[in-house]
Amino acid sequence: MVTIATPASRPTASRPLAPTSPRSARALSTLVRRRFALSVRTPRELLVPLLTPVLFALVIAPALADQVTNVGGIDYMSFVAIATVGLLLPLSCMSAGIGVLVDRESGARRDLIAAPLRRPLIVFGNLTVALAVSALQLAVLIGAAVLRGAQFSSGSTGIMWFVAASLGLVVIMYGAAETLANRIPTQEEYVAALPAVAIVPWFFAGSLFPVNALPAGLAAFAKVLPLTHVLAVMRYGLVDHRGTGLHDIWGMSSPTAMALLSLAVVAAYAVLLTVVAVRVFNRATVQ
Amino acid sequence: MTSLAVEVRGLTKTYSGGVQAVREIDFDVRSGEVFGLLGPNGAGKSTTVGMLTGTVAPTAGSARLAGREVAGEPLEARRVSAVVFQEAVVDRPLTGRRNLEIHARLWGLGAGAAARRLREVVDAFGLREVIDRPVSSYSGGQRRRLELSRALLSEPQVLFLDEPTVGLDPLIRYELLDLIDGLRRRGEMTVVLTTHYLDEAERLCDRVAIMHAGRIVALDAPQALLRALGTEVLEVRVDGDPTATLTRLRAHGMATDDVFSLGGTLTIPLHGSSAEAAVLTINQIGLNTTELTTRRPTLDDVYLRLTGGRLAAA
Repeated sequence: MVTIATPASRPTASRPLAPTSPRSARALSTLVRRRFALSVRTPRELLVPLLTPVLFALVIAPALADQVTNVGGIDYMSFVAIATVGLLLPLSCMSAGIGVLVDRESGARRDLIAAPLRRPLIVFGNLTVALAVSALQLAVLIGAAVLRGAQFSSGSTGIMWFVAASLGLVVIMYGAAETLANRIPTQEEYVAALPAVAIVPWFFAGSLFPVNALPAGLAAFAKVLPLTHVLAVMRYGLVDHRGTGLHDIWGMSSPTAMALLSLAVVAAYAVLLTVVAVRVFNRATVQ
Repeated sequence: MTSLAVEVRGLTKTYSGGVQAVREIDFDVRSGEVFGLLGPNGAGKSTTVGMLTGTVAPTAGSARLAGREVAGEPLEARRVSAVVFQEAVVDRPLTGRRNLEIHARLWGLGAGAAARRLREVVDAFGLREVIDRPVSSYSGGQRRRLELSRALLSEPQVLFLDEPTVGLDPLIRYELLDLIDGLRRRGEMTVVLTTHYLDEAERLCDRVAIMHAGRIVALDAPQALLRALGTEVLEVRVDGDPTATLTRLRAHGMATDDVFSLGGTLTIPLHGSSAEAAVLTINQIGLNTTELTTRRPTLDDVYLRLTGGRLAAA
């Protein structure tokens, strides 16, 4: 038997309203800390997405580099090291989507929905954690690639191109993950869809060879994929200062202009998928 | 003058496919009142609570919580309310304390107020021993108490309890009913409770709205609804067609319009007549009965009389 030890009652009429409005920043910070606490307790989200890219960086890329010394003047080891980033970030974001499904099926999401906050903040909180986790994984992967012999030569501008493209890719892929997690009814179906979204585009996006090596139709398809633009900008920043990958896409002479165009494409995809993710989330939470 | 904590006007929900879950319902709940939405599965109770808490968009009508329009001022309406859901809604990998802290921050409690309230509810709900353990290690009753304490952290003006005891074993259920009864006695919070357990409604609610097929078919204090059936009812179990039996009873002036039947059982409100006299009459008529029972009327009888269906879960 439980006894309620109540604090002194106050008359209803004189009772103040419930506490003051939480500012959005405070709510977002709470949501981020919650999601981070849940992710840290699930090593799956941190470690599993790293396995394949690290394996690629440590074993497969060096083996391929033995056979193919360079692509368009770029050391192949470094060329593929950038490709592993294009594999890691989609896998990481799609894995984060599993957390959304768990939240929906057996977590506290409904209490968050009943909270006095703007509901899209829940999506942005998850996205913030996906960005932080991806950054951590990215550092590990780049470190592994450098240790295995990849050579990145870049100044601060090159690093900014790389970071901007990485950021765009995470936002795009997390938008896709959140959308699918709110549309797909079960975790099993989501996991089944994961390779199609996270891995298949990677083979077409100029990861292991330039997009112009593809048949014309597939090359045209590749140029529409955001990942193609992301990889070309990343390489432009760290290993391909002449912008050969960007030239394959745009055919222009100014690498900076082409990089800006590709970043614009990435940004457009990022905005589009974020808007879609928020809309799908709202639809999933309000009947 | 008593203020209204919940005002519902013409609230309607039609789901895609044309399913009318709630049809133009109106009701008010006074501040400090415990109000029950009573009905079987599919009656529209949870959809109604969903519309009041902003998780279901109404097709028509309006609702206000403590004067805030749910549709027009959603953040304000949610700030003055809290919900305990039908199913477990907690972050199981996190500790109970972390679950409570997250809720407190989202409802805007400052650090000091949150710590004070957390201590109060943890002590009040007997959670001190388990509060720093992951919720995944909690028993069903502990988890339910955690959810109830979480809802009370922000001292909501309106607390929604959506089938709070469904699926719980009897011991935990009665323990939880005690806790809710404690809230009722405090009288400083408005509670809207949905249930299909009649004893819960009778025990806890100041007033109940009985819902059937998306409509409110009766709304009053439980005792007032029961009084309409008198102090005693006679249950007559018959072989064969109960309609014929009813016709014969009516011919002898025994049964009024509020007699109702379910299968082979007729339930006859006695309205002050003695049970012995009723039984004597039945024997004199020579009805082919298999069982005669007298008992107190229940809300189940009220529902059955109004809808022709049985309210209590099988």
